[in-house]
Formats: sequence, structure tokens, C-alpha cells
Amino acid sequence: MRALPFIPLLLGVGMAMPALAANSSTDAADWLNRLAKAEQQQSYQGTFVYERNGSFSTHDIWHRVQDGKVSERLLQLDGPAQEVVRVDGQTQCVSGTLVQGVGNATESSARVLDPLKLMNWYDLSVAGHSRVAGRDVTIITLRPRDQHRYAFEIHLDDKTALPLKSLLINDKEQLLERFQFTRLDTADIPDDAELRPSGNCKPVAQSVARSSESVAGWRSDWLPPGFELINSSVRKDPAGKGAVSSLMYDDGLARFSVFLEAVDGAAGADVRTQLGPTVAVSRRLTTPKGEVMVTVVGEIPIGTAERVALSMRAQDAQASQ
Amino acid sequence: MSREALQESLSAVMDNEADELELRRVLSAVDDTETRATWSRYQVARAAMHKELLLPKLDIASAVSAALAEEATPVKVARGPWRTLGRLAVAASVTVAVLAGVRLYNQDEITGAQLAAQQPAQPGLNMPQVQGPAVLAGYSESAEQPTGPMANGVLQGQSGWQDQRLPGYLRQHAQEAAVKGTESALPYARAASLENR
Repeated sequence: MRALPFIPLLLGVGMAMPALAANSSTDAADWLNRLAKAEQQQSYQGTFVYERNGSFSTHDIWHRVQDGKVSERLLQLDGPAQEVVRVDGQTQCVSGTLVQGVGNATESSARVLDPLKLMNWYDLSVAGHSRVAGRDVTIITLRPRDQHRYAFEIHLDDKTALPLKSLLINDKEQLLERFQFTRLDTADIPDDAELRPSGNCKPVAQSVARSSESVAGWRSDWLPPGFELINSSVRKDPAGKGAVSSLMYDDGLARFSVFLEAVDGAAGADVRTQLGPTVAVSRRLTTPKGEVMVTVVGEIPIGTAERVALSMRAQDAQASQ
Repeated sequence: MSREALQESLSAVMDNEADELELRRVLSAVDDTETRATWSRYQVARAAMHKELLLPKLDIASAVSAALAEEATPVKVARGPWRTLGRLAVAASVTVAVLAGVRLYNQDEITGAQLAAQQPAQPGLNMPQVQGPAVLAGYSESAEQPTGPMANGVLQGQSGWQDQRLPGYLRQHAQEAAVKGTESALPYARAASLENR
């Protein structure tokens, strides 16, 4: 009988144990910390493939760290010769057309992988060892702790902690996309010629401060846990009729964007579709500002995207003060 | 189990939206007369909402149960080894038939969807979309073929609002992610894959 008062205590301990067991391994967190630093410290060049439903492409990459300055050039090897050159996190030039208004972040807040933050939403663990591009790798898995994000499997080079392979996996264990190096050379440092953009690469205007437009006038009633607003803007829509507000959220790993635009009577039906890892959900909402088409695009499960789309609300004047 | 939970499950089953757990819950409670009464009330409500024809007192399940109960139990026949083998053979062939049927059925559906998706003529060769290259054991390729403006894995023309907007939004999302993110080359590859045809 004297044991009775302790029963709740025992139960409590019993319930706490699985929670502790579900916590992430510190080994995996150490690996992610190494990964976060690797791109800033390691020069390399190599070739990787990217694959998702309906698309397979191969790319060369040159990455040089010299006197604390990080230069990087990417070139697609098949199909159109798409190219990007970056210096110190600022995009210098791209081939092809950038959507109007996309530019370098004014505040230039570099998003760095933060294992401590990720542990709130993912279980990190070391899943084993393997080989990628002829190099020994350690496999880190990030399993979501809720249904609002996908699982990642990242293969990190044992020597340099560079990510040599990255898989995105949904809750049905289906592979959504694959990023994988086929060749990596960390011995030969890329030279100036290899990092020089070709004539196709058009300079990206360093975006001027557009802080006056940065308040998008929308807020979300509900967001999947851990997702924070990292960017918001208002742009003229390409047809020149109205304005498109866009908001971007991330949880430190996965990202999604919300686009809002006023529509008139007839246009627009609801859409849900998936392109490899990326979903797009369009919903028509009736708000005090009129009929609005809300489109959520991102690397999140379709149900989550739908819920976000339905949770967007016009921000009233008082709240935006 | 609470009455409300069961009723919610019943309602979900009726709307064809029940998950496996709810289906089991309903199946295990279906012998209860009160549950059956609720079920038939729901049927009436549903039929009324959908303006369907209804025979409200039709309860096939209980009629079948009654018929089964009345039926005389067949005399047990002595069981020879051949009989068992025969049963096994029948079971195996049914399994094979079902598997084959499911497979054929799925294939039909997929090729149908692909054909439909590829109707908007594109320049160059129209190669059939393979399900996907071999992947690690343990990961299955998605069997569901998406529909809509991106059915083929590339942005496709579609009439109306989505035609004008969705491709632009996808591009903007991918490019913003590529410009803002610094973690790896992955966002670039995603953005680039949108431009490939």
C-alpha cells in the first residue's frame, strides 16, 4: 500500500523514457555542425546528378575558398547550359531568366544549418556508413517528428563532411528527389578560369533596398510548427494588373512560399499538384479585401500546404502597425 | 469506446473517408443493433442530401446473417491429401490472378494518364515516362502519377489562370530558395530542373 503514491511517479518515468529515446543523437548533430562549416572551409570540384519525377540532370560544380572568400560556379552539363556564379553568398550572374524581382537578399542573412533548432522538428541520427563517388560517407537521417515535413537522408564525406548525397523521402517512404555526386576532387583547387562565368551568364542586379514594400499585408492563422517567415515582398504581377504578395517560410531545412493575388470573378479554380519534391496548392479565398487566390509552393506535404493556404488572413491595419 | 467516436467513424465510412482504424472500429461494432440503426439513419440522410433513390428498410447484412444461421451445417467430409493440395492450388491461383489483375489495372491507369498528359504536342521525341530509375532497396518510386499542369514532370501549358500563374510561382519559389539558401547546390539543381524540357 505504501507503494501507491509512487505509482504516478513510475508512470511518469515510464512515459518520459520514449521521449528521451526519440531524441536526436549528438553524433548526428556534430556531423551537421561539420557540414555547416565545410562549405565555408573546403575547396572542391566535382560532378553531381539531380533526379526527381520526370527530370534527371547532371551538373559540374567548382567551389573555392581562398582568403576567407567563397567563390562558386555551377554549370548544367546536359540540355541548356544553365549556369550560376556566386561569390560570398551573393549571386553574381545566372543564365536564363530570373523571375522579375528575385535578387539577393538585402539583409543578406545567410541561412546556416542549425542542428539545435532542427532537433525540435526532426530526429537526427547516424544511420550507418556507405560510399558515394568513390569516397567513404556517413549517413545522417533527419526524420520528421510530425507530418508537416519530409524526411532527409544526407550522406556526408568522412574526410570533409561535404554533402555527397541527399535524398528527400515522404511519409510513405517514397523517394521524392535525389542529389548525388558522381565525382569529387578536394585536392585540386579550382583556378580563376574555371570560376569565370561564360557569356551566357547574365549579371544579377544587386537588389536595392525595397524595405518600404517588405510588409506584405498578410499573416497566417496557422503555420506548421517551427516554420518562420524569412522573406516577404510585394511585386507587380507580370501582366501588370495587380500586385502579388509573396511570403517565404522555413524550418531551418524545408521551405515553402505563399503567393497571394487578387482575382476577379471568373478566373481561377482550385489546384493541387506535385512536381517531384515540390507541391503547389491554389485555393480561392474570400477576404475583406475581395477574392484572393492563395498559392502555396514548397517542399512540404500536400496536406500541410493545403492547410497553410486555407489559413491565410488579411492583416488588418492595426495589426500591421 | 465512446458513442460519438463510433458515430464519427460511421460517418467517415459512409463518406468513404475512413482510415483503416475507423473501418475496423465500425466493422467490430456492426453487429450491435443500435449501430445498425444509426447507420441506416445516416444512409437516409445521405440519400436525401444526394437526392438518391432509397429503400430505407433494406438490410442485406442481417438477411444474409439470418440465412447463414438457418443453413444446415454441411457434413464433414473425410479429408485426403489431394483435397488439401487442391485447395492450396486454388488459393495460389486466386492470389496470382489478383496480383496480376492489380498490376494490369495499375499499368492501364498509368499509361492512360501518361498518354493523356502527353497529348499537348511537344517538339522533339515523345518518350514514354519511365517510372524512375532503380533506387535503394527500401524506397519505392511513387506509383501515383500526378495530374494537372505538371503531369509530365515539366511545366505544361494548361488553359486558364493556372497556365499563367503556377509556372511563374514555382520558378519564383525555386529561385528565391536558390538565391537565399546557402547550404548546398541542391536548391540550384531544383531550380534548374524546372527549366529543362
